[in-house]
Amino acid sequence: MSLESASQPLVEMSNIEKHFGGIRAVNGVSLDLYPGEVVGVLGHNGAGKSCLMRILSGAMIANEGSIKVNGERAEIQSPHDARDLGIETIYQTLALADHLNAPANLFLGRELKTRLGNLDDRKMMAETQRVLRKLNPNFKNLDDPVAKLSGGQRQVIAIARAIYFNVKILIMDEPTAALGPSETAMVADLIKGLRADGIGILLVSHDMHDVFELCDRVVVMNKGRNVGSHRIEDVTKDDVLSLIIKGELPGDWVPRGRDRVQ
Amino acid sequence: MANLDREAYPVPAALRLSAGSFHKLSAVLTLVALVIAFSFGNDAFFTVNNGLTVLLQTSVIGLLGIGMTMVIITGGIDLSVGSVLALSGVVTGLSIKAGVPTAPAMALGIVAGAFCGFLNGFVITKMRITPFVATLGMMLIARGVALQLTGAAPISRLGEAFGILGNGSLFRIVEKTGGIFPKVVFPGIPYPAILLAFVAIGAAYLLNKRQAGRHIYATGSNEEAARLAGVLVDRTKIFAYTMSGALAGLAGNVLMSRLVTVQPNEGVMYELDAIAAAVIGGASLMGGVGNISGTMIGAFIIGVLRNGLNMAGVSAFIQQIVIGVIVILAVYIDQIRNRR
Repeated sequence: MSLESASQPLVEMSNIEKHFGGIRAVNGVSLDLYPGEVVGVLGHNGAGKSCLMRILSGAMIANEGSIKVNGERAEIQSPHDARDLGIETIYQTLALADHLNAPANLFLGRELKTRLGNLDDRKMMAETQRVLRKLNPNFKNLDDPVAKLSGGQRQVIAIARAIYFNVKILIMDEPTAALGPSETAMVADLIKGLRADGIGILLVSHDMHDVFELCDRVVVMNKGRNVGSHRIEDVTKDDVLSLIIKGELPGDWVPRGRDRVQ
Repeated sequence: MANLDREAYPVPAALRLSAGSFHKLSAVLTLVALVIAFSFGNDAFFTVNNGLTVLLQTSVIGLLGIGMTMVIITGGIDLSVGSVLALSGVVTGLSIKAGVPTAPAMALGIVAGAFCGFLNGFVITKMRITPFVATLGMMLIARGVALQLTGAAPISRLGEAFGILGNGSLFRIVEKTGGIFPKVVFPGIPYPAILLAFVAIGAAYLLNKRQAGRHIYATGSNEEAARLAGVLVDRTKIFAYTMSGALAGLAGNVLMSRLVTVQPNEGVMYELDAIAAAVIGGASLMGGVGNISGTMIGAFIIGVLRNGLNMAGVSAFIQQIVIGVIVILAVYIDQIRNRR
């Protein structure tokens, strides 16, 4: 699979540390992500996975450690820096400005402008229509403030915003939490499509079914540490649960995939 | 947010009123009702002359209201505009006394106002002081500086040129009668009103058509989301407070010019009129909502009320009560609309 074909990782986070006072939220965590790979990031609430993702997306700055993107050292000091590197994030809270309409949210921070520097609302609306139609054909009320839209529609806007701008690394924090079955299936198709395009995806999820269906690899965090990074075919759901809860694999564990291959 | 299921059965788009336009319509109707009511009460109310007087009187509240609207949209408040208005006038007055020509002196006054606004923004974003406290502090500081610089005494004899901005008018038509007093056919459109129109159009353009304006709305709507989307939230807020300060400076120069005297104790409580204008016009103190046309309607509702009640011989104390009631009603109507 693509994992073998790619020689250089898209993202290499090494020895990332983040302290809040005396609490080590992220403690010497290293993580890599290859092109066309979907990595599930798992762990309890408070295990430090959101913290780690926020560091990569520029929403938080690490105390220690380095991040390399495409083999080059990257200084990610702000969400702006992360976006310039092609790192896009779909936040669990969606991070939408409720009073603005769909196009204004989709292009927030990266507004399209006319030659005179005015906002090109017409073009932004047309582009939004084009992108949203692909994700959800019966999306109509684009001109309403997003506060008036349904949870699923809001999620679609947040997803559209992440994939519209030449994304290379996509961080998805619980992308299907607010969605119904058909929309969840849409997101799964979307992830498969992006993976086929060579985009690296970090998927933060609690849904074991999603993780095993979509991910190539899982990284499990426990108490701020990375307690395991495994190919999905090497582990069972029980193994992953053991990592999440106890921070270690069951005592009798051997890579399951190899069993099956042999 | 309260009306997620608003469109259970779709209404034709033409008949549908957004919350904003509903509020604006009710504000316009209030304004029209006020004008009609006062017209019946007093023959002199609905005349060209009085109309122009209202324009002149409203221009100061209007200018302050425009700056206030920008700040309120970011989710903040600026309590310092009345004091900054006075300080700007004092800076202009002292500059003229120091020999600076009138126009550059006025520019200096406006710059002083903008600087006060910038300090507000800096204290709020970098020192993380809430807007209420930061601008309350600036309200005291700016007033104190204005009083200290002048020894609390008015500055007069500032020259004829100083009075032009506040007292001049465009298209004034005067008929020479040969007597001492020429007959005024049309008193002309006062410069402050023209200035207000230009500033209002400029501010509306900024808020609706420029990236800075879009970021002002986004910051007030959801600050964290705006930050995550790469909006420079701190810079956006500092910009809004600086604009508010600059417009307070401009309003100060207009007001002092009208009096042809610099009064360091002028403009007390003006911030409340400006907030009232913005709120009557539909701006939400929670941020993310507000627009210039609404604020202009709000400013004129206050202007017409003041003028009409004055002409009806109602005391200034009663006027305060009436305006207070109107502010509460405006917010109440908005809430009902949003709950529906």
